[in-house]
Amino acid sequence: MFDLEKSIADWRQQMLAAGIRTPVPLEELEIHLRDEIERQVQSGLSRQQVFGIAVKKIGQAPELKSEFKKVNALMEIQKIIKLAGVICVVVASFCPLFIFLAMLLDHRVSSLPKMLAVAVYATTLTTIVLSWRYNHKLLPVIHNQLLRRAVGLACYGGCLLWIRFGIFHFPPGGSHPRSPLLPLLIFGLEWTVMAILGGIGHGLEKAARKNTEQYV
Amino acid sequence: MYRVPMIRKELVAASAEPLILSLLARGESYGYAIIQEVKARSGGKLQWTDGMLYPVLHRMEHRGLIKSRWAESETGRKRKYYSLKKDGKTAMARHQEQWSLVHSVLAGLKKEQYV
Repeated sequence: MFDLEKSIADWRQQMLAAGIRTPVPLEELEIHLRDEIERQVQSGLSRQQVFGIAVKKIGQAPELKSEFKKVNALMEIQKIIKLAGVICVVVASFCPLFIFLAMLLDHRVSSLPKMLAVAVYATTLTTIVLSWRYNHKLLPVIHNQLLRRAVGLACYGGCLLWIRFGIFHFPPGGSHPRSPLLPLLIFGLEWTVMAILGGIGHGLEKAARKNTEQYV
Repeated sequence: MYRVPMIRKELVAASAEPLILSLLARGESYGYAIIQEVKARSGGKLQWTDGMLYPVLHRMEHRGLIKSRWAESETGRKRKYYSLKKDGKTAMARHQEQWSLVHSVLAGLKKEQYV
């Protein structure tokens, strides 16, 4: 006697064994299979026949796995690139905040440098956010994926070198106590440069993606 | 009468994205309904391997053309519904423009053959 639920469970096992992930996309495929079975049953065929037809129409597990693998690989790489960029942007946004906050809370610092610090931090943050959001519009479209990734990677490398050798070179108020604006601006700019460098990899990917969609 | 043969797989693959985008422009839908709609509209000449639709949908979602949400249908079955995003509308307009161009070139050439 044919057991539809057991057959579906076996089919699920085959899909899992082939590497189709759960819950997505396996759940989605199972729902599709059940929809197809439900529709075909109305045509008067037996459940066993209907199940065979539905499984055939869904396709072979290795072929499906291969297609999903392409999508997942693309997603994984782009996620890593985006994550690296996000880390740079977050670090560049929050690290100077602590130094500016320390300056704001220091009762020995007069109100003018404090106001300047707030203004400089606001400008730094705005520039970082805008560069992350819109850098793809200014960056070139590199069609060669390998070259694009290499440039992105080089920019992350540059970002690390920048952290090592650039930032903290001019701590606010440290070397120019009589003119607080310039060191503050330089300090803010240093973090902005870090965020911009860190965001280039993601920006290049986005620029390439937008360009592809333009000419689909 | 001349019967239109089954559409070649290369053309089926190339037309998948514009068809999905155009169908979703009419409102959100789910995988099975998309396949049935395409089949009905093409008189069964456009045949997708059902399971292959989902990698295409996932890729389009990842590219930011469409978005998805899980919801329960009227029958109580849980389904993943897809809908168009702003970038998807732009991509759809471009697809339609390009396919219309190809169609008009072909139609023009066909017309010339009978003049």
